[in-house]
Amino acid sequence: MIAGRGRQRIRPPRRGLHGDEVDFENTWATIEAAFREIHTKNASKLSYEELYRHAYRIVLKKKGEDLYHNVHEFERKWLSSEVRAAIQQLLSPNLLVDVQSLGGTTANERRVAGEKFLKGLKQAWGDHQVCMSMLADVLMYMDRVYCADHRRPSIFNAAMVLFRDEILRSPVSDHDARLLLGLLNHVILDQIQMERDGDVIDKHLIKSCVWMLEGLHEDETESEEQRLYNVSFEREYLDTSREFYKSESELLLRDSNAGAYCRHAQRRIYEEDERCKQTLLESTGPKIQKVVEDELIKNRIHELVEMESGVRYMIDNDRLEELNLVYDLNRRVDEKKSELTRAIQKRIVDMGTDVNNDAIAASQAPAPAPAPVPAPAADPADKNKKVAQEKSINQQTVAAIKWVDDVLTLKDKFDRIWRDSFEADGLLQQAVTRSFADFINSPTFPRSSEYISLFIDENMKKGIKGKTEMEIDAVLEKAIILLRYVQDKDLFERYYKKHLCRRLLMNKSISNEVEKQMISKMKIELGNNFTLKLEAMFKDMTISEELTAGFKRHVEGLGEKDPKRIDLNINVLTSMTWSLETIGGTVEDGEGRPRCNFPTAVEKVKRGFEKYYNEKHSGRQLTWLANMGSADIRATFKKVQQKDGSFKERRHELNVPTYGMVILLLFNDLPADQHLTFEEIQAQTNIPAPDLIRNLQSLAVAPKTRILIKEPMSKDVKPTDKFFFNEGFNGKFVKIKVGVISSGNKVESDRERRETEKKNDDSRQFCIEAAVVRIMKQRKELSHQQLILETLSQLAGQFKPEVNMVKKRIESLIEREYLERIDGAKVDSYRYLA
Amino acid sequence: MDVKKKYELEAALATEAQAISSGQLKEENPLDLSDDFRLFCEACRRGDLKVCQEMISQGVNLNARDKYDYTPLILASLCGHYEVIRLLLENGALCERDTFQGERCLYNALNDRIRNLLLSYDYAKSTNPLQPLAAHITSLLTRPSPKTADIAITAFDQTFYLHKFLLAARSPYFAKKLAAAPSTTSWKLPDKIPAESLGMALQYLYFQEVSIRRALLGLSDEQELVVLNGIDKVGKQLETERLFEDITEIDDRRRLRQRRADELSRGRDQLDDWFQNNIVKHKRVVDTDKVDNIKWDRENSIFADILLRADDDEELEPEQSGTSTPTTRTINGPLNGLPVGPRQSRSPSRQRKPRKSTVYPAHRAMLLRSEYFLTMFSSEFKEAQETPHLQVITVDCSPAVLETILTFMYTERADFGLDIAIDVLFAADMLFIEKLKQRAAIIISALGNGSTSAVESDNPRGATDADETVDIYEVLQAGWETKVQRLEEFAARYIAYRLEFYIDEPEFAQIVQESANRVKARQETDTVELVDDIRYYLSERFRLRFEDSGLDEMMDEDAAVKAAEKDLGLAVDDLSLEDKKKDEQAPPVEQQIAAGAIRTLDGEIIGDEFLQDAQNYQILLGKIDSLLERLNLDA
Repeated sequence: MIAGRGRQRIRPPRRGLHGDEVDFENTWATIEAAFREIHTKNASKLSYEELYRHAYRIVLKKKGEDLYHNVHEFERKWLSSEVRAAIQQLLSPNLLVDVQSLGGTTANERRVAGEKFLKGLKQAWGDHQVCMSMLADVLMYMDRVYCADHRRPSIFNAAMVLFRDEILRSPVSDHDARLLLGLLNHVILDQIQMERDGDVIDKHLIKSCVWMLEGLHEDETESEEQRLYNVSFEREYLDTSREFYKSESELLLRDSNAGAYCRHAQRRIYEEDERCKQTLLESTGPKIQKVVEDELIKNRIHELVEMESGVRYMIDNDRLEELNLVYDLNRRVDEKKSELTRAIQKRIVDMGTDVNNDAIAASQAPAPAPAPVPAPAADPADKNKKVAQEKSINQQTVAAIKWVDDVLTLKDKFDRIWRDSFEADGLLQQAVTRSFADFINSPTFPRSSEYISLFIDENMKKGIKGKTEMEIDAVLEKAIILLRYVQDKDLFERYYKKHLCRRLLMNKSISNEVEKQMISKMKIELGNNFTLKLEAMFKDMTISEELTAGFKRHVEGLGEKDPKRIDLNINVLTSMTWSLETIGGTVEDGEGRPRCNFPTAVEKVKRGFEKYYNEKHSGRQLTWLANMGSADIRATFKKVQQKDGSFKERRHELNVPTYGMVILLLFNDLPADQHLTFEEIQAQTNIPAPDLIRNLQSLAVAPKTRILIKEPMSKDVKPTDKFFFNEGFNGKFVKIKVGVISSGNKVESDRERRETEKKNDDSRQFCIEAAVVRIMKQRKELSHQQLILETLSQLAGQFKPEVNMVKKRIESLIEREYLERIDGAKVDSYRYLA
Repeated sequence: MDVKKKYELEAALATEAQAISSGQLKEENPLDLSDDFRLFCEACRRGDLKVCQEMISQGVNLNARDKYDYTPLILASLCGHYEVIRLLLENGALCERDTFQGERCLYNALNDRIRNLLLSYDYAKSTNPLQPLAAHITSLLTRPSPKTADIAITAFDQTFYLHKFLLAARSPYFAKKLAAAPSTTSWKLPDKIPAESLGMALQYLYFQEVSIRRALLGLSDEQELVVLNGIDKVGKQLETERLFEDITEIDDRRRLRQRRADELSRGRDQLDDWFQNNIVKHKRVVDTDKVDNIKWDRENSIFADILLRADDDEELEPEQSGTSTPTTRTINGPLNGLPVGPRQSRSPSRQRKPRKSTVYPAHRAMLLRSEYFLTMFSSEFKEAQETPHLQVITVDCSPAVLETILTFMYTERADFGLDIAIDVLFAADMLFIEKLKQRAAIIISALGNGSTSAVESDNPRGATDADETVDIYEVLQAGWETKVQRLEEFAARYIAYRLEFYIDEPEFAQIVQESANRVKARQETDTVELVDDIRYYLSERFRLRFEDSGLDEMMDEDAAVKAAEKDLGLAVDDLSLEDKKKDEQAPPVEQQIAAGAIRTLDGEIIGDEFLQDAQNYQILLGKIDSLLERLNLDA
């Protein structure tokens, strides 16, 4: 509060101080002169305070409108006269000529001319900005008060617009109507083209011009899309780039190989990215990237993949790096990588089919057949046929193993490609898996299940000998991998059971541990159901061991020791779990199976066991499968002079099949020079003819185990042959194993195959019916289409049923009144009948 | 509504009392039995804006309490004086939730409008009134351009660029050191003081909120110890004895705030002292035509780096102009005086009768608070150039105004009289100092009411004192020109409460016309802002009367009422030119007669006054309508 005044009064502002009216013309003249100084870079002598005060007064006196207008006009004049002329002078004639045709001048000349022009423009723009920001400083009050009140753009922005209109949109020269803006675009594009061709250009220079274009807008809205850069330059840039890459890709595809193309494309993509960062704006990045990708990849990927040096070539030659490039490129344009996937799948199926065909060819080839003519195999009269068949069976086994190996190699190859080149891409993995499944389950190659089982069998019997646990595990894993691809799992199960059965009974398996390991692997992979029966087989084996031991104790407990007692080793097999039919091969007749007549000593033991067993389990019936057993016989041969001249009884321990034992025991009671004919033997033993023939063959034909002598000597056994005991048998070892011919696991003959398939189909029918009933029980009513779908999906884990078969099963279920058709339903539907 | 329960409040109150008695907490609302405070409370009760503003300017404690435990804010909100409450809050009155007085204030608020106003100023949201000043000074530590630092202090491996005048103002140690050697431009501390310690001390000097915990984050124990020792040492050396104590962390929100407030006001006082003892002391009054001869060396005792000049008003006699300026008192620093000498004469631009000009030394660093100066010093114009002698910059206002502006920029103080308020408003507008503009507007709208109470209920019939303090047209114009909404509102309210005096003046018609034109310049709408505002306040004036009137007040005002009646009668007579008006003239007379008749009956007085007010209201509204009609016809 101010002393000396009775009452404070508000005082009018001292506007009167400098006169009520501002002399607008004079003040403006001062300001204009100052602006001129600013534009000629003499600002340091000017007083900001004075200029601001002038402008402030004018605005305060409501002359803002005039001031704004005058400044605007001043700038317009300045730009259109001084600046434009300066820039026009920079245009060298060849720069102007070049707009129409690129020929005539060298790139270097063009570059120098272009840079001169760009430099000039950049300079003008920079100066303009600096000056305008100074002007804006001086006119701050006008900007804040007048412009804000009247919704005018700030003087700075207005001046920027002026630069666009007066400079960029001015004609190149008086008699050339093209706009400077167009020329600017052209020059920049030309420079970029030079860079693409390998020249070095002044990136910073271009960048500053680009910034200028970024700062200006096409219209007054000042939106992002309306920037001159976007509207004018970028569009043109994308167009020319598209043209350029289109022709470049054409040229490259014609002239170079796929690998080189990929490398080039990748370099271009990188270059464009860098260009956007260094020379242009980053916002252009995605757009130009798309152009490049479209032109170099998307439109060309098909051709690229299909090229002679394309994907197929790369796969075949393990060009992992190039495959990676292809993968990378394809990924850029296509999330699904469909072209690459297609090529890979095709290649897998092709190669897989080759493997299949090889296997088929190998298995069908008539071996190193003595008959070059294709006919003999078909000639039933040919004597060699059986042998050939025999050999071909071995050969097929080899083929099967080879097939599995081939498939695994193939799998390894693609796994490596997938891992190293495709960056472990999920989609591609699916595709690869699908392709493998395709060719493995291909309808032209129905034997995959069998082959895989054979492969396992082979490994169980021989392959894993002497391998470390790790290696064994790897082998098993491989088998599982293949198994994964197989669709008809039930078929595999059938084969596996058969093979496993042999291994167990014949003690062929190297390690029980490994067997169990395999089972547990399958359990993980295929589920509990699948291995149920397999596990039961193992259980049977264990129980049998206990039984044997128990029986032995039982016999010992009977009292006096019979020196001639026969030891019995027995395997009791549950008939449902074991596929004995395939082993025996003769069970077809069921009950009518001929009973082998055992020698009395053996028969006694047999009865003893039956009694023992019945005591333990009542109500079970034992069926003796003599064809599966074997016996150890100690045989004594007549003294024969040794090398050292001494005579010595020769004892051999013979390990023969049960049938063999039965046959040999016949000769025990026979005088040395007597013989038995084939028919006599058969009559006495009641061994089925095929088995008898096989056994006699091994006893009388095979040179190393010729315990009997056959007359006449020939390879085939005929009903009329006579057999003598070979007194002079001379074996090198004390223990001699008499093998039974064709007891190994072999590829099935076609006939067997058909049988297997038939059986398989039968069991499938049950599965299908069961599935249908399960579904219907739950749903009560269902349309045909849905029922089929659900059935298929339910069974997918086991096998892939044919739709026709499902239909037939449904028909059959209707006949048996499990289901009924719903009358009058729009689509075919069924109802479950409880 | 989140209001505390009684027992909760009591508990809080008890803990608070305990904290205060144990000295942890400062008494927020100390008892104040002085006469000034009593007057102040009285004004708050009555809603007298003018007295309130005057008292605030005198420095009365806004947050004190009277013998009945009332704070001014509680009184104002209890009595429902919105404008007063706003004034109090703007000047730092506290209404903090979760405190006894704060909740009391909220609880007592007369209506929701007031309640919301109080809530919007809750401490959590508002800031200390000194915060803008502090923030500016803190920003000087890191501001890269324009360059304002004049000394570089190096500790260990770090260099700080600082301002001598601030150091001198804030630290007695620096004040002494720099007085001894004012031209120092760089200074190296012994290596044993870690840079972190110095940094903390400097942040403290520069009003930054320093947190020791944040500063020590990530340091090992030994490093921490070294830094803490360093801080201790620096604090002792700089004689800022509170440094160490003040930077230690406190968790309590109120204690933190109190400490911060203390610190800020102490710092402000230091700056204020320094400002008064150096800048104001060194101002010089010279003849305007000789002002160009002033030459200050760059190196001077008060570290000024710019001179500001203000010319006296021409038409005022010199004696009167220097209201607060004593005679020429130019005291130079003892070491380097102000060489005032004949210099090459830049011929004075104007040759008029000799005027006086006042020149203030100043610091760019503080002037940057104005956007005008910021732009000036950042530009490439003459003012931003380095010159051997200090540049003189003219500020287009009177010396008194310039001093007010400088005071505000250095100390955040803005207590000035109504006489220069409009000038300050314009100057602040020119220099883009938004805060000062607001302060000027507050002062005008508070003091400008004259002795008339702003309280609506006190003045229902537009009674005014004869001596108008304000040329309201002038204020309105100023409000428009500087775009201060508050002044437009103030003017509208002012006119509304005295409408019968203005409604017939030709100037009023003119200003309505102007307001209408302003609207047109912006957007095509049909309303005239001023008239709308006046109508609003008019309705408030009468409506409030209808609602709040009490018998006692009525009796007191009887005299005033009669005076008003008379005035009204006169006014009505005056405008009897138009037919319409004549028609309207008759009813009031009849009413008055009728009223007179009723008045004889006891208890009917109230009814009479209501009727009269209603009548007045209608008449005034009618007049506005006719005025508008006339103007619109013209336009």
